Amino acid sequence: MKTGKKLGAGLILAALVMSAAGCGDNETNTASPGSEPAKTPGTSSEKVKIVYSMWGSAAEGNTTQAVADRFNASQDKIEVEVQAIPWENYMTKLNTLATAGQLPDTGMLKEDGVIQWSSEGMLNDVSAMYEGSDSKPLDSLAYKYKGKTVAYAAANEILLLYYNKDMFDKAKVPYPPAALDQAWTWDQFVETAKKLTNDKNGKHPGEDGFDSQSIVQYGASVENLPWQLETWALSNGGGFYSEDGTEVKVGDDASVEAIQRVADLYLKDHVAPLSVGQTDDGIQRTIIAGTVAMATNGQWNVGTSLNTAKEEGLKYGVAVLPYMKDKVTISTGGANVVFSQTKHPKEAMEWLKWYNSEENNWDLISSGIWMPTLDKWYKDETLTRKWVENPNFPPYDEYKSAVVDYAQSSAAKPAAWFYTNYTTDFNTLLGSILGDVWTGKTTAKDAISKNLDALKAAHTGNQ
Amino acid sequence: METINKQQKRRSRIFSAEARVAYICLIPAFLGLIFLTYLPLVGVLGISLTNWTGLKSPVFIGFDNYIKIFTTDPYIKDSIISTIYYAALSVAGSMIYSLFIALLLNRKIPARGFFRAVFYVPYVLPAAAIYVGWSWLYEGNFGFFNYVLSELGLKKILFIADSSFVVPSLSMISVWLAGNLIVIFLAGLQNVPAVYHEAAEVDGAGGWKRFRHITLPCMTPIIFYNLLMSLIANLQVVTPALALTNGGPGNSSRFLTYLMYDQAFVNYKLGYACATTLIIFAILAVFTTLLFRTSGRWIYNEGGDDK
Amino acid sequence: MSVAAYGRLRSKKRRNRTMNLITFVVVVLFAILAIFPIWWIFRTSLMTNAEIYKYPPSLIPDHWLFSNYEKTLKVFKFWKYLWNTMVIIVPSCLAGTFTATLCGYAFARLRFHGKSLIWALCVGSMLLPAMVTLIPLYIGWTRGLGFNDSYWPLILPYFCGGGAFNIFLIRQFIMSIPRELDQAATIDGAGYFRILFSIIMPAIRPAMIVVALFIFIGLWNDLLQQMIYINSSDKYTIALGLTNFRGQLKSDWSLTMAATCLSFAPGVIFYLIGQRYFVEGITLTGLKN
Repeated sequence: MKTGKKLGAGLILAALVMSAAGCGDNETNTASPGSEPAKTPGTSSEKVKIVYSMWGSAAEGNTTQAVADRFNASQDKIEVEVQAIPWENYMTKLNTLATAGQLPDTGMLKEDGVIQWSSEGMLNDVSAMYEGSDSKPLDSLAYKYKGKTVAYAAANEILLLYYNKDMFDKAKVPYPPAALDQAWTWDQFVETAKKLTNDKNGKHPGEDGFDSQSIVQYGASVENLPWQLETWALSNGGGFYSEDGTEVKVGDDASVEAIQRVADLYLKDHVAPLSVGQTDDGIQRTIIAGTVAMATNGQWNVGTSLNTAKEEGLKYGVAVLPYMKDKVTISTGGANVVFSQTKHPKEAMEWLKWYNSEENNWDLISSGIWMPTLDKWYKDETLTRKWVENPNFPPYDEYKSAVVDYAQSSAAKPAAWFYTNYTTDFNTLLGSILGDVWTGKTTAKDAISKNLDALKAAHTGNQ
Repeated sequence: METINKQQKRRSRIFSAEARVAYICLIPAFLGLIFLTYLPLVGVLGISLTNWTGLKSPVFIGFDNYIKIFTTDPYIKDSIISTIYYAALSVAGSMIYSLFIALLLNRKIPARGFFRAVFYVPYVLPAAAIYVGWSWLYEGNFGFFNYVLSELGLKKILFIADSSFVVPSLSMISVWLAGNLIVIFLAGLQNVPAVYHEAAEVDGAGGWKRFRHITLPCMTPIIFYNLLMSLIANLQVVTPALALTNGGPGNSSRFLTYLMYDQAFVNYKLGYACATTLIIFAILAVFTTLLFRTSGRWIYNEGGDDK
Repeated sequence: MSVAAYGRLRSKKRRNRTMNLITFVVVVLFAILAIFPIWWIFRTSLMTNAEIYKYPPSLIPDHWLFSNYEKTLKVFKFWKYLWNTMVIIVPSCLAGTFTATLCGYAFARLRFHGKSLIWALCVGSMLLPAMVTLIPLYIGWTRGLGFNDSYWPLILPYFCGGGAFNIFLIRQFIMSIPRELDQAATIDGAGYFRILFSIIMPAIRPAMIVVALFIFIGLWNDLLQQMIYINSSDKYTIALGLTNFRGQLKSDWSLTMAATCLSFAPGVIFYLIGQRYFVEGITLTGLKN
């Protein structure tokens, strides 16, 4: 009996001691925030302190903090502290911070949240940021709400066609074109894909005895995440929205037909694996794994997976997207915003402008993950060479034509979330509506026309 | 007369002492229930009557959110169906699986400790990693299971990419994850008094008879607990949708809690999400009440419960 | 012992042996099925990224790249994260188990006014998904009590009974103990607390270990709450570190899986330690009887 009591008392005591020890440690930390409180007591008292939040791993956070430290050392007014938050939970975290009124001063924001946050009065107008500068971000990279610029993209990204050169060589098929004026039509694309699709017995789709159940290599894969799907709707002369973003056009015949054509790559042409848009490792599953010869995806793949694969011996190329009626690619990029809860909007803007210049994001750009936002990198060839000529990239001429020129051509259209509200609601609903279209249980026409009213409601935020 | 009075007095004194002890024991639970559950719940109720986005200040809109849910919401019907479908499969599957494994592991077999750990490990793994691992197995074109199927000359199954296979596929993972139920069953089996078994054995009762008449009745409180716990956990399912399917294909895995998460943290409809929450709460309450109502009939209560 | 009884015993032993053999075979089969997905994750941690996506998929890595673990440990600050996690887990486990036992005891054995009401409230609290109260609680902890970037909002809830699930579990176990045990003690003049500490607690030790285990695993994998309450990276826990290990788009799966395999090891070790007590539990109740 005594032991019982002792055990109980011991448990409580141990619990209290442990928590006191553990948390006491924290309290001293909270009392003096800042990563190294001991080192900067004198200077920081006069400087305005701003917090910049970003998504990414701890390592990426440290890299950015190192850049911010250079900024902190370069002037004596502003002290920037970087807060890195994992990508998956970034918006959840920001949302709770906003609810409690504890947002950082400035930070990155996911593409599809910008206009909505702006419409809720959470973002500052940043139109004045580049006044009097010699180089501005590309026009396609400004987020606009009610005519005002509320954010610039932190990076540029466009959609491309990637291909596995070994698979083309083996099938003796010419590579897809890197130049926009030679871009394939959709039919040329499908025809080529057929030559690259083999079943177990080496037969291609359309040949006698071809067995679609035992395909071992596919010719093409077109990513069908809703936001990427807009490319094809636009390319077929339709679109998701009217140009000013006020009306829904996804029910138009051209848009519906484009979506069906993407689904038919798997269903009818048998040249594509089923893609359900559930994971973001499309390129790894296709080009790198050597299971699919051509795949569409964002430029960031050059730096996120293809550069390592290239080191390990993969031969891949980049090309412009095929087209249906008009040549289209979509450009996008996460936003850098100034939150309206900040007490120091000017300082926040000054930091963003400094930080947005490419020299300060050089790691991300030279590795191939980000493309520069300022137009001089696209127009001045010495700068372009500085950017592209390194082992992380495909050959200069190919990349210059299929990416650099493509990104500043008229084919590059901003994604809908640069100017339209409620794209998240709309894309979620569209994705859910199209779920059974990819597996052929229904057609794009039936699925969309049945739910058109709901889509329109989602577009106005009224679902 | 006198003795009865005395007894009553004694009983009431005991009762008050007993009650005092009970209240002291329950202080932590009181605090938790008030501050961690019911006050926040009142908050949720309040928010559900507004159009709060979590960003700008809320406006009171009465029952609009509830009306919308029941009239125009494009997801709620599919969502309720898929949640109940998933919960039914997962609860049945994991209860049978975990009781079966626990009974096997309770026998004296070689390397018992090792095997117990094997069945438990899935439960310890971080959710994100589990689902990525399974996604490679389930992948529709080149996944391992489909590789095996095509080697056997069978038709491919699209698993989580097919709206009619996605829920069974996810339930399968949830059954596999039922290591916690196995642990509770094992701990419960240890509590079945050995004397009963010995006595029955002397009487010549066989293995099945002993299971049916001793093990099972003694285990009913634990079975009830596991049933309740897995019912609630599976009706609140969210991780597979977050980590793997994003609710798709179509709405086939758009479980209620995922729907709520999406509304609150992705689409900034906090008021609407809170209204959805209360509907989830109501559905759970219905199922739980049903379970409790029927429990009196089959739970064998050795310690007795005198309310 | 009579000859007949001796014979019965021997045939029983033989029957037991065949039963155990069958059981063993079945267990091995199921174990292979159960371990397969884990093996899949483990073999991924030893592969190059290209090999992971290769078709046909291979069950065994071509080269066993244990160097992936070295690479992982360079970025993934395992020991630091482990320490931080323990700072949260140890007090929570102890306090949660202890308070859950107190509450479970009150519900299972004691008579008092309002019992059914409080019990109903307790059960009701299980029906709320944790996500629901996330925002009200977050506002309460941060704005109301000023706990920013602190572990307290993660630990303190466990001082409040360790969650209704655990109270419920303890209650069920106490109810499965024969009442005669504590009635005998009452006749000897033992008070309620003494009965709890000297009779109930030893008897439900397996259940208490199970509760501690669940609190452990629950906190170990509770990404959402940790994500929301913890800001600075030097306070990161295992769960946060693991998510933060992957960049925005750069998913180096072999290293991520190596980090995963590292990070679930402590949970397994804790289980293996706890398991000894489940087994011990038998002898204890056996003796009592």
